[in-house]
Amino acid sequence: MTEITNAIERTVEGTDLPKRLKDEVYESIEGRDVTDEQAVSIAEAVESRYLDTRVEPLDPVGTVSAQSIGEPGTQMTMNTFHYAGVAEIDVTQGLPRLIELVDARKTPDTPMMTVYLDDQHAENREKAHEVVWNIESTRILALGDVSTNVADMLVQVNLNEQTLDERMISAETVAEIIEDSLGVEVTQTGTTIEFGPAEPSYRRLLQLVEELREIVFKGIEEVSRVVIRKEDVDDGEEFILYTEGSAFGDVLDIEGVDASRTTCNNIHEVYRNLGVEAARETIIDETMNTLEEQGLGDVNIRHLMLVADIMTAEGTIESIGRHGISGNKNSVLARAAFEVTVNHLLDAAVHGEVDDLDGVTENVIVGKPIKLGTGDVNLRMGGATTDGSGRAD
Amino acid sequence: MVEVSQHTLVPEHRLIDDDEIDALLAEYDISRTDLPKIKRTDPALPDEAATGDVVRIERDSRTTDRAVVHRLVIE
Repeated sequence: MTEITNAIERTVEGTDLPKRLKDEVYESIEGRDVTDEQAVSIAEAVESRYLDTRVEPLDPVGTVSAQSIGEPGTQMTMNTFHYAGVAEIDVTQGLPRLIELVDARKTPDTPMMTVYLDDQHAENREKAHEVVWNIESTRILALGDVSTNVADMLVQVNLNEQTLDERMISAETVAEIIEDSLGVEVTQTGTTIEFGPAEPSYRRLLQLVEELREIVFKGIEEVSRVVIRKEDVDDGEEFILYTEGSAFGDVLDIEGVDASRTTCNNIHEVYRNLGVEAARETIIDETMNTLEEQGLGDVNIRHLMLVADIMTAEGTIESIGRHGISGNKNSVLARAAFEVTVNHLLDAAVHGEVDDLDGVTENVIVGKPIKLGTGDVNLRMGGATTDGSGRAD
Repeated sequence: MVEVSQHTLVPEHRLIDDDEIDALLAEYDISRTDLPKIKRTDPALPDEAATGDVVRIERDSRTTDRAVVHRLVIE
């Protein structure tokens, strides 16, 4: 156990290290028995290692990122493989999920939300359930039994009183909703609801039953299932909801939902509701989680941050690939080198495009040095004159 | 409507004045359009933001303490 003396602090503060690394240096020094001199040399060693590993000017960071994500990608599960992840909710994982993220698909295969509750609802199971019923979509089969009476041309619904109480919806409301959405006359007595087609028609009767099944009586249509989990947090325990299906904007408005922590795995929904910066954060979190779940957590987060930065640089979410980033490159040759070569060349010829040969790919194609690393540094020979009076350029 | 800026995923967005913009562009030797963009309709933008303004975004960085980035408001 070493005390942090002024001398140590002066050395550490004097280094070029970022704050987080400085804290880590303090922490490791405190945790060990070291003399002042040793501590100083530790700090110096850390600084020199840090400076060594920083990105050099003109380093092709994009290429390094592509390799650093691509190589672990070869070890990921290839086929769509669902497994009961957090709270028994199926989530797409592995390579399919990674592809989905960098392709910026409009809707993910398995949309889900993690809904946090505010203080009044987070610690009480009953209260948490109230929120659940406002989120999970309630359809008729969850409320009671449906039968068709062909003789009287009637659809009969026997509602379960207990479920009605639990989900806080009355038989009257159910009857009204049916009347409004199907446009038929509904008779309701107690927990029994009856209705039928205006004209006796067997086909219409069956059709009504089909339509009845689709009606959402309560909750959000997109959310098919909600799972409650009690989880340990810093200050005790709280209930957290996991949903199958997502409607991020709607959920944030629901009473009892903590709109400052609730998240969604659909980057487009996050983008629409919270903006481009939040979408960037979500891309990083989701890609990192996907890699971590496959045991590839040692991929440096900076690579994923670079990917997310590029995807969100234009203020919207762009995919990586010929419909997004690579397809918007200025250079014809660079685009043609990526995918669908002939189409790009043909279009460019039709529009009379000019290639300035500014990028990497196009210069490789024409056999010129690329403007990266030593390729972008011009050396100018200069020599001191013999009498040392000046320099000659 | 929910308060977008309160969400943990949303970093602070602040409009900067012309002097700060000039200093920024001079520091990196770039023009305004070289900055990353943000749509004027972005929910996280301050209401008074207009096209052509520059916002300073202070992120809670994963690799360093705080990361400051700038975006140009477009459309």
